Amino acid sequence: MPKNTLKYAILLVLLGVVAYNSVYFKKLDEVNATSGANAGSKFDAAAYANTFWTTKLLPAGASSATELSTLISSLKTDREKAFDTYSHALGIGNIRYFLVKGEGQITAIGDNDVTVALPDGESVNLATEYIFGNAARDASGLIKITEFDNTMDLNNVSTELNTIIRNKVIPLFKASTKTGSTVKFVGVIELNKAHLRLENLEVILISVELGAGSKGQGEKSLTSRIQSKHYAPGTRPYILC
Amino acid sequence: MKSYTVGLLCLVFLAGSCTNKSDTSQPKKVAVIVSTLNNPWFVVLAETAAAQAKALGYETKIFDSQNNTALENDHFENAIVSGFNAILLNPTDSDGSIVNAMKAKDAGIPVFCMDREVNSPQAATCQILSDNYSGCVAIGKYFVQTLRSKAKDAPIKYVEILGLVGDNNTWNRSKGFHSVVDRYPNFKMVAQQSADFDRNKAMEVLESILQAQPDINAVFCGNDAMAMGAYQALVAAGKAKDVGVFGFDGADDVMNSIRDGKIKATGLQSPQTMAKTAAQYADEYFKGKRDFAKKVPVAVELVEQGNIKDYVAIKKP
Repeated sequence: MPKNTLKYAILLVLLGVVAYNSVYFKKLDEVNATSGANAGSKFDAAAYANTFWTTKLLPAGASSATELSTLISSLKTDREKAFDTYSHALGIGNIRYFLVKGEGQITAIGDNDVTVALPDGESVNLATEYIFGNAARDASGLIKITEFDNTMDLNNVSTELNTIIRNKVIPLFKASTKTGSTVKFVGVIELNKAHLRLENLEVILISVELGAGSKGQGEKSLTSRIQSKHYAPGTRPYILC
Repeated sequence: MKSYTVGLLCLVFLAGSCTNKSDTSQPKKVAVIVSTLNNPWFVVLAETAAAQAKALGYETKIFDSQNNTALENDHFENAIVSGFNAILLNPTDSDGSIVNAMKAKDAGIPVFCMDREVNSPQAATCQILSDNYSGCVAIGKYFVQTLRSKAKDAPIKYVEILGLVGDNNTWNRSKGFHSVVDRYPNFKMVAQQSADFDRNKAMEVLESILQAQPDINAVFCGNDAMAMGAYQALVAAGKAKDVGVFGFDGADDVMNSIRDGKIKATGLQSPQTMAKTAAQYADEYFKGKRDFAKKVPVAVELVEQGNIKDYVAIKKP
């Protein structure tokens, strides 16, 4: 009998060892992190967006943004050509994005936007509340879709760029804007190629300079960190936001 | 001497039989494998892809997987054995279809996914997909704009009805919507439930939710069929005028409901664009192009009561 007990005990221990070594428990997050499409290289959308903002989008805004009045006129005369010449988008379809610049006078300040009258009589809305979508990511045409295997990474880049705008551009602009004052801006817009609407154009700001009549003109505290332009002392015509 | 001549003739015959017929006079063949032909949306997708491939000079055939990955597997095997040169795939299951797409890849046949993705960037040559996330960002923005206009910080209660929980599109839509709406703390989601993209289930789900939450302000649905079901439930409860319904797809009945002021908004997808692009990419592949983006998003357009008149003439074929 003790012999049998010993046999069973050894068998039980062996079974236990086999069972213990046959089953592994791992956290699902750990498994996902080490397998699949993004194994070993988690994309840092915030870092990517910051670098893109500083090294590509702001310089592109300063050097290659299309004058808004020129764009509107071009869209009215030859829509197809205007979209081919000035628009960009990472995807395909009717939604396209433009990197634009303009200058005008603030005519109204609303909860969600600031209306600006352009010199040629057109008016546009500078968004201050609803900063969403892919315009900041796509408008410059400087991001290539072949850089990304995962569309959620692309979506996150848009989210992070919008966060930069929401945190760095909008608060200073809102704080110093005033009806009647002049404003210079660089921004991005979204337009539908097949169903074009030019009334109530909404611009998402990339950079903005407030001029004569603004609340904080001349106040050092309103000088922004987001634009790298430098002016000689006493020559700066606008407050950077 | 005679045996040499026979041997030489045999060699010539064998050499001739080894050439690839598809490379000579016969046109290349493109298979369109679609998850189901029971849903008109996928019929449009499959037929447009086949028509475009045919217009580009290729022989085409449509295979219906009937939402069954095993049947989809049979179609892939058939396509490989029958000498198809490219496959335009609407996958049945984002995980379950990977093995099928890999089988084609191993056989040297490019696979171009349409509308639905497979969860492996290696399995398909390129995936052409509706930009569900961005489309729902646009819907989320409109959702907040319209509901917030009544009173800026008044509490807004809403319900989200999800599609199939195992489908990537369900979550991409939900994430896009919440990336906007969750920024507004006065918007409170009082219920979130799946209705499997099904109209009748959505009606039942919302009827049940309305018993516990009778004072909701809006319902966001992951597709238009569910939006129509939700609207029916609201009509039955006498709340259709008080509760805004938002869908996704751009289905004809919802486009008409937007026109009639019943449904608030939808995201218009374009199966035609995806199908034509997939066929076009197959053509480019045959002509030597290899540097395709792994995923190509296709824009989704916000259609709401303010711009619906722009879409009156738009009809799905």
